[in-house]
Amino acid sequence: MEKYYKKWFKVLSLPAVILFVVVILLPFIMGVAYSFTAWRGSYFKGSEHWYGALVGLKNYIKVFHSQKFISALIYTIKFTLVAVIVKNVVSLALALMVRRIGKGIFRTVFFFPNLLGGLAMGFVWSFIFQNVFSLMLFSEDSPIHIPFLCNMLQDPNKAVFAMAIMATWQTAGYLMLIYLNGLNNIPEDLYEAASIDGATPLQQFRHITVPMLMPAFTIVFFLTLSSSFKMLDENLALTNGDFGTRMLSLQILLTTRENTPPNYGMAQAQAVIFFVLIAVVSIAQVIITKRKEIEA
Amino acid sequence: MKDRMSTNKKIKQGIMYVVLTIVAVYTLFPIYFLFVNSFKSQKEIVASPISLPSSWDLTFLKNAAEQIKLGESVINTLVITVVAVALIVLISSMTAWMMVRNKTKGSTFLFLCFTAAMLIPFQSVMYPLVSLMENLGLKNTFGLILMYGGFGLSMTVFLYHGFFKGVPLSLEEAAVIDGANIFQLFFKVVFPLVKPITATVVITNAMWIWNDYLLPFLIIGNNDSKTLTLSLYYAKSLSGQYGNPWELIFPAVLICVIPILVVFIFLQKNIIEGIAAGAVKG
Repeated sequence: MEKYYKKWFKVLSLPAVILFVVVILLPFIMGVAYSFTAWRGSYFKGSEHWYGALVGLKNYIKVFHSQKFISALIYTIKFTLVAVIVKNVVSLALALMVRRIGKGIFRTVFFFPNLLGGLAMGFVWSFIFQNVFSLMLFSEDSPIHIPFLCNMLQDPNKAVFAMAIMATWQTAGYLMLIYLNGLNNIPEDLYEAASIDGATPLQQFRHITVPMLMPAFTIVFFLTLSSSFKMLDENLALTNGDFGTRMLSLQILLTTRENTPPNYGMAQAQAVIFFVLIAVVSIAQVIITKRKEIEA
Repeated sequence: MKDRMSTNKKIKQGIMYVVLTIVAVYTLFPIYFLFVNSFKSQKEIVASPISLPSSWDLTFLKNAAEQIKLGESVINTLVITVVAVALIVLISSMTAWMMVRNKTKGSTFLFLCFTAAMLIPFQSVMYPLVSLMENLGLKNTFGLILMYGGFGLSMTVFLYHGFFKGVPLSLEEAAVIDGANIFQLFFKVVFPLVKPITATVVITNAMWIWNDYLLPFLIIGNNDSKTLTLSLYYAKSLSGQYGNPWELIFPAVLICVIPILVVFIFLQKNIIEGIAAGAVKG
């Protein structure tokens, strides 16, 4: 059998390997190389080939002097921090309650927004924030006047929360399913033993639920960190990056359109930095939560 | 004592019920909102966005369908989604199967490459990818499908890999002794055993490809053969110079959402279970 599988391994994995090389590996290597050149998209400045247009670290130096990039980076970090916390708290709270109630209808309803497109629903949410929140529900004439919830999309600090509200609405149901799975894997007799020993519900949560949920935390943190950091559609649909609300994904997309001739080399340098940030943060996060898993 | 415990518990349960119901209403509110405003004129939308429409007027939906070339866009999106998902499922499952069965250094290395590639964000490779595809003459729908195939690969191979590890080898040996060739072995014996994870893979990939904006935007742009999401984007951005034309946007968004809603209503149990199955393995 071993020989049989060995013989077919090369044949059957060939299509996947070809696609992988053409769509991911090659563009990735090209991308790193091009980030050191004067790439203009359809040509290289002053040469036929990329190696003739090398400019050293010039693109990277330009990027770190770019006000737009720095502010997009800071804004992305701000949003990621808020979104990861809000998404996790909401989805875990929902999972804890849905588990006690045990009704399938709640799972279904909470999960549904996850299937809808971020761009399409972003347009709907932008109207909700602009008109329903600002002019009706929480306006000055309303009995529940909450200034914080008015004109959220025109203020960079409020927009962080507006985007987090929408992103949580989209993903909380999905993340809740992961937490529910984790909760269902905790043996019930652990709680019984603990309550016989006189542990309060809070102590039970702290010393049984949290440590036993560590594998779920690893997954949910990984998913929320990377999806928040990379978010584009919601940013585009809600604020279009105006009023200082531009995040990194949108910044990379717009860089090629804001310079003439389009500076693809500089956009690509940002793309490489973007990759390094995501890779470092994700790997660090997985290592830390995995270590906690073992301790628990 | 016991009685007090149980009334206590009942009150707690009641509170949870109320909280969950409020969250459920909140979750469905944007959908309700989208629905009622798809039948209103611009004036009515701005004046009374929350109430039911004064009449169930279909002109706005018709107009939106025309603007986003509904028939054409739906067919484009459907073809791209179905073919790309089929491609992803087929090549990822075969590769993952072979990786589990053939434990050489080469296959371990390949698996490592695929897993590591999950960390590469699309934005980091998009510009060179588009330029490469243009040079290969693949800046079209066919190329788009291939690109989805490539991007779906890593995660899907990873999910299948985890699942195939639990499939016993003895079944396959018996089939080979009975004279099955490799394709019969795969499609008749192995593939049916991993149905649950296939459901997960189909749902997650289909969802992402159906709703994707950025890749079609870069590859197709404002040409013919736009996808649904792309048509919606252009309908909004091209007519939005003088404020947002909500009487166009709401019905257009509703049209994009309806196919998903219909599929979800019919397959909700499978979808939720499939997602949960993937979450455990992932």
